[in-house]
This record gives sequence, C-alpha cells and structure tokens, in this order.
Amino acid sequence: MNWTLALPEIVLSCSGLFILLFGVLQKRSEPSFACTMLTLVAFLVTGILVVVAPDGAGYHGQFVNDGFSRFMKILSLGAAGLAAILSLDYNRQEKTARFEFPVLLLFSTLGTLVMASSANLMTLYVGLELQSLAIYILCAFARDELTSAEAGLKYFVLGSLASGLLLYGISLVYGFAGTMEYAGLRQVLTGGAPLAAGLVIGLVFVIVGLAFKLSMAPFHMWTPDVYQGSPTSVTAFLAGAPKAAAFALLLRVLAQPFGHLAGQWQLLIEIVAIATMFLGSLAAIGQRDIKRLMAYSSIGHMGYAAMGIASATDAGIRGTLVYLATYLIMNAGTFGCILAMRRRGRALTRIEDLAGLGRTDPTLAVLMAVFMFSMAGVPPLAGFFGKLMVFAAAVQAGLWVLAAVGVVTSVIGLFYYWRIVKVMFLDAPVAGAFDHRAPSLSFVSAVTGVATVLFLLVLGPVTGAAQAAAAALFG
Amino acid sequence: MATNTLMAPGLQAVGLGPYLTVGAILLVLGVFGIFLNRKNIIIIMMSIELILLSANLNLVAFSGALNELSGQVFTLFTLTVAAAEAAIGLAIVTVYFRNRGSIQVEDVTLMKG
Amino acid sequence: MITVASLFSVAVFAPLLGALVTGLLGRVIGDPISRIVSVGLMVVSAGCAVAALWFGLAASAQAVAVPVSTWVQAGGFHAAWTLRFDTLSASMVTMVSCVSMLIHLYSVGYMSHEKNPVHRFFAYLSLFTFAMLMLVTSDNLIQLFFGWEGVGLASYLLIGYWYDRPSAVAAAIKAFIVNRIADLFFMVGIALLFLLFGTVSYDNIFATVPEHVGASYRLFGTSFPAFEVIGVLLFIGAMGKSAQLFFHTWLPDAMEGPTPVSALIHAATMVTAGVFLLARMSPLMEFAPVAKGLVVVIGASTCFFAATVGLVQPDIKRTIAYSTCSQLGYMFVAAGFGFYQGAMFHLTTHAFFKALLFLSAGSVIHALHDEQDMFRMGGLARKLPVTCAVMWIGSLALGAIPPFAGWWSKDAIIDGAWMAGGGLGGFAWTLCTAVAFLTALYSWRLLFLVFHGRPRVPELHDHAHESGPVILLPLLVLAVGAAFGGWLLRPWYIGEHQAAFWNGSIFNAPDNHVLATLEHTQGLIALVPTILSFLGVAVAFVCYMLKPEIPAQLARSMRPLYLFLLNKWYFDELYDRLFVRPYRALARLLWHVGDETVIDGVPRGLARLTVGGSSGIVRIQTGSIAVYAFTMLIGLVVLLSTFLLVR
Repeated sequence: MNWTLALPEIVLSCSGLFILLFGVLQKRSEPSFACTMLTLVAFLVTGILVVVAPDGAGYHGQFVNDGFSRFMKILSLGAAGLAAILSLDYNRQEKTARFEFPVLLLFSTLGTLVMASSANLMTLYVGLELQSLAIYILCAFARDELTSAEAGLKYFVLGSLASGLLLYGISLVYGFAGTMEYAGLRQVLTGGAPLAAGLVIGLVFVIVGLAFKLSMAPFHMWTPDVYQGSPTSVTAFLAGAPKAAAFALLLRVLAQPFGHLAGQWQLLIEIVAIATMFLGSLAAIGQRDIKRLMAYSSIGHMGYAAMGIASATDAGIRGTLVYLATYLIMNAGTFGCILAMRRRGRALTRIEDLAGLGRTDPTLAVLMAVFMFSMAGVPPLAGFFGKLMVFAAAVQAGLWVLAAVGVVTSVIGLFYYWRIVKVMFLDAPVAGAFDHRAPSLSFVSAVTGVATVLFLLVLGPVTGAAQAAAAALFG
Repeated sequence: MATNTLMAPGLQAVGLGPYLTVGAILLVLGVFGIFLNRKNIIIIMMSIELILLSANLNLVAFSGALNELSGQVFTLFTLTVAAAEAAIGLAIVTVYFRNRGSIQVEDVTLMKG
Repeated sequence: MITVASLFSVAVFAPLLGALVTGLLGRVIGDPISRIVSVGLMVVSAGCAVAALWFGLAASAQAVAVPVSTWVQAGGFHAAWTLRFDTLSASMVTMVSCVSMLIHLYSVGYMSHEKNPVHRFFAYLSLFTFAMLMLVTSDNLIQLFFGWEGVGLASYLLIGYWYDRPSAVAAAIKAFIVNRIADLFFMVGIALLFLLFGTVSYDNIFATVPEHVGASYRLFGTSFPAFEVIGVLLFIGAMGKSAQLFFHTWLPDAMEGPTPVSALIHAATMVTAGVFLLARMSPLMEFAPVAKGLVVVIGASTCFFAATVGLVQPDIKRTIAYSTCSQLGYMFVAAGFGFYQGAMFHLTTHAFFKALLFLSAGSVIHALHDEQDMFRMGGLARKLPVTCAVMWIGSLALGAIPPFAGWWSKDAIIDGAWMAGGGLGGFAWTLCTAVAFLTALYSWRLLFLVFHGRPRVPELHDHAHESGPVILLPLLVLAVGAAFGGWLLRPWYIGEHQAAFWNGSIFNAPDNHVLATLEHTQGLIALVPTILSFLGVAVAFVCYMLKPEIPAQLARSMRPLYLFLLNKWYFDELYDRLFVRPYRALARLLWHVGDETVIDGVPRGLARLTVGGSSGIVRIQTGSIAVYAFTMLIGLVVLLSTFLLVR
C-alpha cells in the first residue's frame, strides 16, 4: 500500500492539529494572526505536496490521486488561502479574531481535499462531513451576532438534512450494487444487468445531497440567508473552496461510477441547471444587500458550471473546470472589495453604500467593476472564457434549450451586475469615503483583478490542465 | 434481492424487506419532522438523528445481506459523524438561544427575501 | 477626341466641385465668395458643354465613352462610372448647363434679400445640376438611376429650402414620395432589363435588342411580352419624374420652393428627364408598340388635363406649373409616336421659354414682395417694362405664335400626331389641338391679369419696382432663346440636318416614317393649331380686357365645372381617400398594434416577467427552515419521479 498518496492530507491534518495546539498553548496574546500565517504556510506546503504527489489509488480503494484530484485540490487550496488572507482584517475589526478560525478553515479545506480524492462512497461522506461540520461552526463564528447564529443554525439544519439524504442514498446504492467502491460500482453498472430501481433512487438521493452543497435550485434556499448572516470572511470562504469541492465530488461520482448512466442523469442535471440559472439571475434583481446578491450570483454561476456536466463530454467537463477556476478568482476578488466596504470601523453590506465609489475611491470601484463585468461574462475578462466553453460544450452536445436559457439568464445577469457598476459610477456619493483599506484586502483584490483582466494570457495552461483533469476523470 | 446462503441467520429468518421498510419509515419520519414541526429546534435535531439512523439501519441490513463488512464499517463512521454533528448542532443552538432568547422554529426567520 | 472628352468631363464635374465647395466650405468662405464660386464654375461648365457639343458635331463621331472609374463589379453584374458622349447627351448637357448657369446668375439677384446665408441654396443648385448631368451622360442604367435619384434628392432639398414653412416641407415630402413610388416601378424595370439582357450598359443592351424581341414573362398564367413590360415600367418611372397624369400632383405643390428652383427643376431640366429617358431607350421602346400607345394616351391626357386646370388657377406660379405639365404631355405624345427628335426639340425650346416665364414670374413676385395671386396684380406693364416685354416673348413662344420658338416645335408634334393617323393619332391630334387654344388662353389670361388693365391692389402696385440687372440679364438671354431658338434649331433637330446631327443616338424603327412624312401634312390641318392659338389670344383679350365680368359670370353659371377645374379634377382629394387615409390607418394600426403592443410589448413584457419572476422567487424565500426543507423535499420528489418516468 502506497501511503504517500495521501501525504498532502496527512501533512495538512497534522499541521491543523499542531496549529490548534499552538493556539491553545499560546497564553500571552491572541494568536489569531500567527495561526492564520501558519495555516497559510500549511496550505502552501500542502499545495507543493499535491503537485508532487504520485498518481494512483490506495488505502484499499478508498483514496485516489490523479490529474483531476490534483486540479481540484489546487483550486481548493488557492481559494481557501485567499479566503484566509481576506479574513485577517475582517476578523480583527469585528473582534472575532480567534485562533479557532484558521484552524476550522484548515479542517474544512482538508475535507475538500479528501472529497477531491475520494474513490469510495465512504471517503466521500467523511470528507463531505469534515468540510461541512467545520463550516457550520464558522457560520456561527460571530457568537454575539444574532444573524450569524441564525445563519449557522439554518445551514446546520438544512445541511444535516441534505447529508442525511445523501447518506440514505449511499446506503441504497451500496445495498443494490453490493459495493461502495467507484471502480466496483462501475463494473456492476457496465455489466449489462437490468438496473435496480433502488440503485436509481439512491443515485438521485446522492445527486440531491451534492446539489445542496452546490446550492443548485431547488436546494439553494439556504444560500442567501447563510451568505448574508455569516461573517463576511466566512462567506468569502463559503462561496469558494466548498463549491469547488462539491463540484469535484459531483463530477467524480457522475463520471466514474455512474458514467455509464450518463444518458439518465444528464436530464436531471439539465433540469437542475436550468432552474438554477433562472433562479440565480431572477432573484438577484431585487436584492439590496450585496452579500445576498453574491449568494444569488453564486447560485447562477453553479448553474452555468453545471452546464458542462450536463453535456457529459470531455469538453463539457473541461469547460466546467475552467469555469470553476475563473469563478474562484472572481469570487475572491469580489469579496476582497466587499470586505473593504467599511466606514468608521463599521462593515457595510448594502448596495447603496457603494454609491459614488467611482469618485471617492476609483481604484476600488474599477476593481469591483472588473469583477462585476467578468461575472457577467463580458469579454475579454476571465468570466467570459468559462462561459464560452460551457456554452460551446452544451451546444455541441445538442442541449440547445440549456444553451438558450444560459444566454437569456446571462442577459438578465448582466442587468444586475451592471446595476452595481451604475451605482458606483453614476450615483452621487451619499456618505464619505470608505475607511483605509487593509493591505491584505488590497493584495487579494489586486492579484485577482490582474488575473481576471489578463486571464487570456494563462488561458492556454489552465485549459490544458483542465483538459488533463477531464481526461483523468474519464480514464 | 435473492436470499443468500451466506446471509446472517437473523436476516435469513425475516428477509431484507422489513429492515428496508423500517429504514424508509424512519427516513420519512425524519424528513417530515423537519418541516412539519413548528415548535422547537431540538425536535429538528432529533429528526436529523432519525434520518441518519435510517441510513445506518439500511447499511447494516445490506451489509448483513451482502455478507460484506464495509457497510458496517461505514455505520461506525456515520455514528461518529452523527455524534460530532449533534455536538456542533447543540452548540449552535446554544449560541442562537443566547442571542435570541428562544429556540422556536418560527423565530428563525430574521433573514429572508 | 481627347479634348472633347476632357471638355465634357469638366462640364459634368464643375458643378459637383461647386456644390462641394459651397456646401462644405460655405460657412468658412462666406456668401459672396460662395456665389462667385458656384456661378463661376457654372459658367465654366456651360462653356465647356457648348465647346464639347461643337467639337463633337464637327468631328461627327459616334458615341464616345469617357471612363471615370469602376463602380460595381459583382459577379455578372457590372456597372461603371462612364460618361457617354453622343449628340443626345451632349445636347442635353449643353441645354442643362446653360440654363442652369443663367439660373445661378439669376439666383444671385433673387436670393439677395434672404436673411439667412444662401450658400446652402447654391450648393443645392449645383448639386442638382451635377446630378442632372450625371443622369443625361450616364452610360448604363445604374448610373442613370443614380442621377435620377440625385435630382430627386436635390429637388426635395430645394423645394423644402425654406424649411421653416410647413407648406414647403410638406410639398418637399410629397414630391419625394410621389417620385419614390414611380421610381419603384423604374427599379423593377431596370431589374427586368438586367434579367433579360444580363447587363445594364446601354451599348450592350441595344446591341442585343433584336435577339430578345420575342422574349416574354409568364405571370399569373398569362404571358407578357418582355419589351412591353419593361417599356411600361420605364415609362411609369418617367411619369413620376415628368409629372404626368396620376403622378402630377407633386409638381404644382413644388412651387413652394424659391422661384429659381421652379425654373430650373420644374420647368427646364428635371421634369424633362422622363422624356430624355424615352429618347435614350428609343432602341428598346421602338419594339414596344403597346407601351408607346400608353405613352401617347397618357401624354395627350396630361396635356389636356393640365391645360384645363391652368385656366382657372389664381396663383401665377401654379398657372405656369400646370402649363409645364401640359407641355410635357406634348413631348410624351411625340415620344409615343416614335418622334423622339420632335420631343427633344420641344424639350429644348420649352426649356428656354418656360425658364423665361418662371424667372419673369419670379421677377414679378420679387417686385411685389412675394405676392403670387394674379387677382391682386394688374397694370404692372408700366412699372416693370422689361419683365413685361420678356414675359410677352415667353408667352408668345408658349402659345405657339409664329415665329417664336414654341410654334416650331409644337406644330411639328401636332403634325406628327396627325400623320401617325389611326384612332390614337386622331385622339392625340384632337386633344393637342384643343390644348393649343387653351394654352394661348391661359397664357394671355396671365399676361392681361398681371400686366394690363387697372391695378387691383393699389398699395402693391405703388411699391412695385423693376428688378436689378442681375435678374434682368438672364431674362434677356432666355428671351432671345425663346424668340429665335425654334427657328435656329429646327434644321438640326427635326429638319434636313437631323440625321447628321443625331448621328445614331436616337433610334427609329425601320417602319417609323414620322419624320419623313412631317412635311406632307395638308396645309389646312397644319394651320388649325396656329389659328386656334390666335383665337385663344383673342378670347383672352375679350374676357380679361374688354369684359372682365365674363369669367366671373361663367364661373357662376358653370359652378360645378369651375370648382372641378379649380380643384384640379379633385386628384388630391381622390388620392387622399384612396391612398393617404388607408395608408395612415394602416400605419396607425401598425404603430399601435404592431409597434406599441407587439414590438414594444415583447421586451416590456419580458422585463415585467423578469421582475415578476424575481419578486415571486424572492417571496418564496421566507426565511423559514420548514419552507426550505419542504422545497428540498419537493425537489427530491420531482427529480425522483422524473428519473423514474424517463428511465
């Protein structure tokens, strides 16, 4: 057995435990900053290990390392790292800078890594729960805020329901297929035997459980409330790495064990994607809270990304992966801008607070506008390429309805993204300038902003990596 | 599912059907408990436990019927996760109660729209 | 031939230069320089045109093509910018540029009292001249159409020159729209020609005419001879430009433009484009007897209709406008009988005397400070002696009193109609002869009302004054043309030198002997129109000088007829009922139902749907855990049932 396969995860969990110990033993001052830095270092080391970790399956078929898992792990680590940086200033200002935060972030990220490498329904479940349980706590992290507590409560209840359904689905799949391993499942399903109804029902339950994590309609209801109520630093994380991990799971489960049933789950994903895109674009229109708007925006993005899965082709998966990569970049940048919305120490989340930003803080306004246009899919920004690839894949797969809905909802999406730009540049300022930005926020926004604008330059390598990942997935 | 000679003795006596039925009933009870309950968040947490238990029952039953151990191993994991989940859930409910002074389900509607 | 070609090019493009300079730089260089530039360039153009015609005739060359550049080269479709030099185009160019030059000069005086800068006016005039020259020098139908539309545009701009007058704007739009309708037929004609011949170049078309004589179109189960269809379509285009019956309504209204415009466009040049088109297409028209018959019928009818209406108009310019309409009818009658030379002859003489009449009328209007009602004039002969004299000459020419220009050309046409014989010839001869009487009648009615008798409105009369030399000079030049033009040009246009003069640029079918038989008209028949003309003068003298109460009595006793004529046979009202109102109703329907309800409604509806959907979705988002969980359950059930059903 090649235990080095899971070396990144082992290192990450050990560092998590170490940082926890370090935080607890640190008596003199609040070790939050130090712990965050240690977490970042751990992410970095893990990232390097992920890149060099050998391919292959191990741990009695529980764990697999391939191009796909590597791609998703890098995405998750990157997104989590950016979220950790973003949390520094916010937590300090909101007096929630406790060392548990980075530790929980780390364990949640560990969960995403395990999910990306799952080769067995058991690994899938454990990884998912590891990630989710940490996030439940993070959502309620601002202990003295009612909104935060409510967000944590809602996410916990609905998330537990979803994982309960997932678990029930897993039990059915296990029972009717006789195995939990992806490879074994694949063998059973390609065997040509008539499909047991229980297996199908189990698959639907599994899809529902994952769709919940991806906040795909109609399992999205928790998203706006949780995004709005959670501390913004948590929201920034929540909208990033966990989505990538959930997509990793969905892709792996659908492509590997159930790849043979593509003709059957394709329709489900298509229905869900259409509902998600419509919902994400429509509900965002009337929003006044920018975090809530971002929630609906991320719902919509999950719909577009799912278009690639629905097409069930190599090109489609590749499109989804590129889409996720661009989404994570834009998302981190946007939250960097949102976290910078602060007057006299008070965090602001209403859209009208952005009024006149083009005059009071042109740099921030331009960055925000870049992210908004990129999310709307305006060329030549990053968001455009992801959209282009999934649309192309959908059209190639003959899913015209899906592509048409995607175009229509993109237009609607452009409207509400444009509204923010309009508020920033055309409306008169109502209050003074924002507080001075923390360097951490400027750093993240600037880096992601440059990446968004110049994504064209790295499009080739990213697409190549996504292509390799998709190829690994299909084996 | 055909009865297997390798099946555990208990299962051989009644077959797999009753176990699955009980599992399904538990699932439905759990799910309905979540959205029909208008009273107390603690009841919701109990319903979640029911759902997890229904899955566990399924897993164990299947494991027995298939004469394959991984189902039972999974159950152990699930139980652990359920314990952690319950702990976290109760902690969140406590935090919520501290802020709101109530754990009525109807009160958890601060954020909407 | 190099010299001819270059002279010809200069004649055509000098007005374009003038239009560009005055139009684009008018503000910069100011009005005086604009005037000098445009008039100077027109003098150059006229000089070159005369020289080109002179040298061309001396060399007696066949048609010469002066290539300018390639225009359209698309597959089998080829159209080039080429100036075609033959007698037909050269004579037209000479006539157009000379008259235009005189009118430019006249405009300098006439427009001197304008409050606003007039460089725009000169730019339009020069643009018009250029377009007209392009029209007549075209070497293919597409270039012809370019000029055709160019003069239409310039005419629109000039009629609506006083854009602050609603009536002028309405008249401009009317002229444009009526012409567009006719142009539609013209375009279809060109397209059919191209389909049939595979080319739009004159030479190629004319060379292959004999091959296609028998061609026909099948439509609705009937077959139509191709040449007839094309001929009729081209003629309908000509009807629009030349204000023939059914398309004439725009011409009287076009009098809203400044008087030089009326003289240039609506008398001398643009309206004759239709006649020119038929002469140019003579190799084709000669093989379309039915179309030619239609030309005769429409021409003669227009001739008569316009003359009757001209009898009762109180407005001096409108009277002359209807006279123009009527004279164009003569030209079409001639063209319809294959007597293109006669049509061109009358076209040329008409250009002189009608421009003269319009410009004289302009002089009168100018003198009376924009008064156009003849019943408020009278006794102006002493106040405006020169104007009165030239107007007499113009009227003598128009009324076909020998030996003035109109007599030569008009008598030739009437004789041609008689010699053509048959029912058509009889019909045309009768109407044309009657119109000779009517023409003299309304011409002298105008003269007597304006210049003789007692002043009807003393205040106007007292302030009247003769115009300045800039206005009078062109009048005198044109008066010379109106007096002697017919006598001078007759040998070349229709007389003994005609074959050498036209030199093959006009085609007469072998069985078309109208020119040869012209001299054989019986003496008495040939005299009838002349006698009727004198009679018309006499009747006018009696009615408007000796017993001025007669017209009023007649109008009273025959009130319906009078009203019928005064209202121009109720054509405008008829068109209003027949086309304008239904069209408006349709437009309103499309506006309210098509545009507001459907086209605007769809995006508005979509926006409303979006907003509605948005608020609906947001309303579901109640914040209640139970509702969220229930939604998830519904989603699960829907997906499950979908999966199980579709599987």
